[in-house]
Amino acid sequence: MTLAKITPLLKADVFHGPDGYETTAIAHIVASDLMSDVLVAHTEDFVLITSLASDQMIRTADLVGASGVILVNGKRPPASLTTLAQELEMPLLGTALPKFEACLAVGQALLQDTTV
Amino acid sequence: MNRLPDLSLETSPLTLVEVIYSTAIRDVMSADPISVARDTPMSTVQQLMRDQGVSGLPVAEDGRLFGIISVHDLIEILQQGKLDMPVSACMTERVVTLEEEMPLSLAISTFSKYPYGRFPVLNGAQRLTGIITVRDINVALVNRLLQQVSKFESMLDSEVTPGLALSRVFHTRQHDFENGGKASTTIKKHLVEHHVDRSLVKRVAIASYELEINQVVHSIGGTISYRITPEAVEILVQDRGPGITNVDKALTEGFTTADDWIKSLGFGAGLGLPNAKRVSDIFFIHSEPGVGTTVKAVIHLKKQNQEKEP
Repeated sequence: MTLAKITPLLKADVFHGPDGYETTAIAHIVASDLMSDVLVAHTEDFVLITSLASDQMIRTADLVGASGVILVNGKRPPASLTTLAQELEMPLLGTALPKFEACLAVGQALLQDTTV
Repeated sequence: MNRLPDLSLETSPLTLVEVIYSTAIRDVMSADPISVARDTPMSTVQQLMRDQGVSGLPVAEDGRLFGIISVHDLIEILQQGKLDMPVSACMTERVVTLEEEMPLSLAISTFSKYPYGRFPVLNGAQRLTGIITVRDINVALVNRLLQQVSKFESMLDSEVTPGLALSRVFHTRQHDFENGGKASTTIKKHLVEHHVDRSLVKRVAIASYELEINQVVHSIGGTISYRITPEAVEILVQDRGPGITNVDKALTEGFTTADDWIKSLGFGAGLGLPNAKRVSDIFFIHSEPGVGTTVKAVIHLKKQNQEKEP
């Protein structure tokens, strides 16, 4: 699964898409608004699904090696967040879907996908 | 007159900032200063200044400060030949004072602001406990900077290897979430650029970030030092307080003293220290309430020494 395939499923806006982000591999989801939880997740090749639109959220995503971030509930990232996403070259997407619906959509796609 | 340099946070070296913010005026001032009462004649003041080699004296009774008398006031009285006058008639009554608990940085900015050579220092009960001069500040700064230089010299690698090896010190400030995490991001980027294994980078990043956020959230500020060699990444985190009352509890998952504000930022779940310990090969913590907390975390980069999973 790639971010490119996820984007239409979520009707997502791409707030920041660094070069080659479309082909970034996604095999798992970490969904949380609590960064402490994200920091204890033993996962690789995951996308972070969150409604926390703070600078520390994108720093956490970068430090744990997330492949990308999806903001839910139609949250728009503040300018500083987008700037930091650019600086850290972290794909930053946004969807109008609530967190559970977004997880469900990406999760179903992951289960059906065999080309991880 | 030589003015003290502008020691602002933005432009000064971090070591200097650390020293002037972490040192209290109490540790720099001359304690129990000689003072004179209001009814002391100026002739006694003249004698005291000559014998003690001081150019200013606080006017105080039972610790209560009434004013300050300087050598300039004395010269004026000498010119008028009125040495029998009491101090109260010649002293400056509106005195700028400092407090013991204030950081040295504040004393320095006060000296820059006013043309005076000394300031009386009061304790929390507004009693005179000391006097501070530019000389006191110079002596304290030189001593503390010498200590810091020795510390840095001992940290330096004997051989400087280009590339991966790196020694760097970062500074954090209380509740400064805007900059909190920058140290960890910088170090992570450095390791990635030098092709360190992805799972090792993640362990360093997690340990570093948990400790950095802890310092921003819980301490009044401090430093994070990194020493990277081809063998290991050593993270040394030191803050200036308030210290942890029960370290064992703080290492228990779920224990937290964080408030709602911190939780609203996505932190404070009580997982930080245990998580930093989990990803480290060596983890050491020492804390003293009222003094501060020191944490050392080491992650080995050579396979034979590694014990932990990312």
